[in-house]
Amino acid sequence: MAEKGLARADESYQKRDKRVRELKAGGKRIMGYLCCYPPLEMVTALDFVPFRVLGDMNEAITKADAYLPTIMCPFLRSAFDLGLKERYDFLDGFVGAHVCDCGEKLCHLWDYYLEPSYYHFIDFPHVVHRASFDFLKEELNSFKTTLEGYAGKEMTPERLKQEISLHNQQRALVRELYELRKPDPPLLSGTETLKTVVALMSIPVEEGNELLREAIKEVKERKDGPQKKGARLLIWGSPIDDVAFIEMMEGMGANVVMDDTCVGSRHYWPDVELTADPLDGIVHRYLADIKCPRTFRETTESYQKDLEARFSYLRDYAEEWKVNGVILQSMKYCDTHGYEVPALKDYLDGIGLPNLYLEHEYTMVALAPLRTRVQAFLEMIG
Amino acid sequence: MAEEKKRAINRLESRKLMRPMVDKMYIESVEAAKAGKPVAWCMVNWWEGDPILRAMDVVPVYPENYGTVCAAMGAAQGYLGKSDAEGFPTHLCGYARNCIGYTTSMIELGEIPAEAPMGGMAKPAFMMSSGAFCDARYKWFQALRRYWDVPVWVLEFPHPGVKEAAMEGTFEHVIRYMVAELREFVNFVERLLGKKIDWDHLNEALDTQEQVFRVWWESNELRKAIPCPMHSRDFWTCMVPCYYLAGERETLEAYTAVYEEVKARVDAGIGAVAGEKYRLMFAELPPWHSLGFFDRLAERGWNFVIESMGYHPPPPIDMEGVTDPLERIARFAYGWYTSTNINIPRGERSALGAQPYVNFAREYKVDGVLFHPLLTCRTASIWLTHGANVVMERARVPSLFMQGDIVDLTVFDEAQALNQAEAFEETMEHYRQIRKREGLG
Repeated sequence: MAEKGLARADESYQKRDKRVRELKAGGKRIMGYLCCYPPLEMVTALDFVPFRVLGDMNEAITKADAYLPTIMCPFLRSAFDLGLKERYDFLDGFVGAHVCDCGEKLCHLWDYYLEPSYYHFIDFPHVVHRASFDFLKEELNSFKTTLEGYAGKEMTPERLKQEISLHNQQRALVRELYELRKPDPPLLSGTETLKTVVALMSIPVEEGNELLREAIKEVKERKDGPQKKGARLLIWGSPIDDVAFIEMMEGMGANVVMDDTCVGSRHYWPDVELTADPLDGIVHRYLADIKCPRTFRETTESYQKDLEARFSYLRDYAEEWKVNGVILQSMKYCDTHGYEVPALKDYLDGIGLPNLYLEHEYTMVALAPLRTRVQAFLEMIG
Repeated sequence: MAEEKKRAINRLESRKLMRPMVDKMYIESVEAAKAGKPVAWCMVNWWEGDPILRAMDVVPVYPENYGTVCAAMGAAQGYLGKSDAEGFPTHLCGYARNCIGYTTSMIELGEIPAEAPMGGMAKPAFMMSSGAFCDARYKWFQALRRYWDVPVWVLEFPHPGVKEAAMEGTFEHVIRYMVAELREFVNFVERLLGKKIDWDHLNEALDTQEQVFRVWWESNELRKAIPCPMHSRDFWTCMVPCYYLAGERETLEAYTAVYEEVKARVDAGIGAVAGEKYRLMFAELPPWHSLGFFDRLAERGWNFVIESMGYHPPPPIDMEGVTDPLERIARFAYGWYTSTNINIPRGERSALGAQPYVNFAREYKVDGVLFHPLLTCRTASIWLTHGANVVMERARVPSLFMQGDIVDLTVFDEAQALNQAEAFEETMEHYRQIRKREGLG
């Protein structure tokens, strides 16, 4: 592996399957997963290499139409289309989870049509009630049973604890990487960040940690980082796995300094607490700590307090990363994010943070019409 | 001419028992609110929460059904526009957008809008969401917090995967979870209203409900007869009380009358469409705003004999030995969900959410499936293409797709749909021959 740091991240981003195909040729087994909910600690505790299934905005969806309607999440349609085109033919298994309605059903269809040699679906409660933790723990025990059966070995608590530490290490390194976006100008661009994160989802965790250490060192030492620009943006919303969207913003006078998407901070932010039974910490992290709108947060005595409970972490991000504008982006047909938009706008308006809602269709072509709106927004806040 | 078109579908007389019950449901909710009784806005919840609410003297109102009402009575378009103006994306559920628009009108006026169909929906004391089957069922009421300063409770409904649901212990751990959540829900309502649940009332309602499901299920079983005695139009008219008033004695009486009428038709060999030429399944919800479309098809001899499973009660479920009413509710609701995957012939894989389409295609001897993807409903639409694939592959039954929506009438092109229907008859004829040749009945 000749490249290091950001160049290595760029290489992995450009050729996502390169490393896992090498590993597979060497006898490793690759486990695909969708979204940020399948507990990867359990996957690596049995020596599988996790690989996140993403879409491809540059590839026209041509095969998925024979199986899926056009009125559903285009990101998921794209991912399934790639599966049908054998772009994920290196996957040995697939772990699905009940993330959103479309995500749930897509996992089942993945199993039905692509027939991975291993498949397991984990049901995630929508609510964070006391009984939900017990339920999810039983779900994860079922997952453990089938995964052990497929691996042909046992997942010991000791090994699972080691893996939790390893993944927490990665999370800490990602947070450290994001710290480098706090200065003005940021030391690392949004584009570089996204490439790095996508790379992490494409290589083994240990290699990802090594990549992160190299990238952090490189960024701290380099003198040719991003230029200072008028706007410092936070990007919120549905998955962004292609840099085109971020590049568009950064090419128009903005520094993208923070994100709240699941191919970004949402995937990495919370740690797993090391508990006596390691599954307890995992359950808590994945059910309660990941901030995705697919999870319902209890209502409080007023709407304003609800907003505070649901979105105050974004104010913290905005303060720490000195954000002066928020792009709320959602793919068309993404219900979990779509319902969130007016309430989130209320919250951001309430704390005086300018924001712009953009809906797009997960294609390169569909990005072009957004430029004018973004330009006007940047002029307003810059 | 108009008279003749109406006669193309031989509607059930007993269907007329349903509408007054639905009207009464709306009127009573408004009256109840005026009298100071608590009203809850509720999602369809597959009978998890409804009996509990009624046993606590809470009056449930169903905004999903109200979307249907507004669409059928031509009031929805204005509400959809209001939702759009509030900043909600236009691709969201048509029922939700209708409700959001209705709510903003009500907030602006400070009272139920005068033009609201069926007397409107009264302001809720709380909202009961559901974790069942679609994200809108909990995100929509969460979004309504913007307008109603009342709490929202999500009644959880687990969805283990098909294989996973069959794993040892899964059924019981799901039931434990559902019962625990139902107990929390009872506690929530008791705390909120300061009153206790009437367990005797709940048990009585569950007894009635189970009888309602049985007689309604048996009525639909009778539709396997050739010719089919009951058209989907009657199913859609009749299905509403089963969803919303299943614990009421009046509902049981109405469904018993339906059963008797359908049975009498079967015994007499009377079909819902004279000269039944083609038997069809309709998948998903119909275009409520354009139901006259089915009369045009009936004139061509098309009889719609079965619909998506999601709107049907389950086969009878054995509750022997189950004494806790909350466990009874959980076993029933989850049993309904898992019944999707029964009747799979040996050696066949489950077709997942499309399995009922395969089963129904065989059991009801359909010639074709009319799939109606709903532009604003992903839950209803996501299985349809897959459904068409497996129905063709396993039952050799062709499908026709006609895009539309449950609420938004601008996206359904009736003239084009009728043109497609004409051409589809040749396809149905062709596959009749293929089924015959392949011994598929």
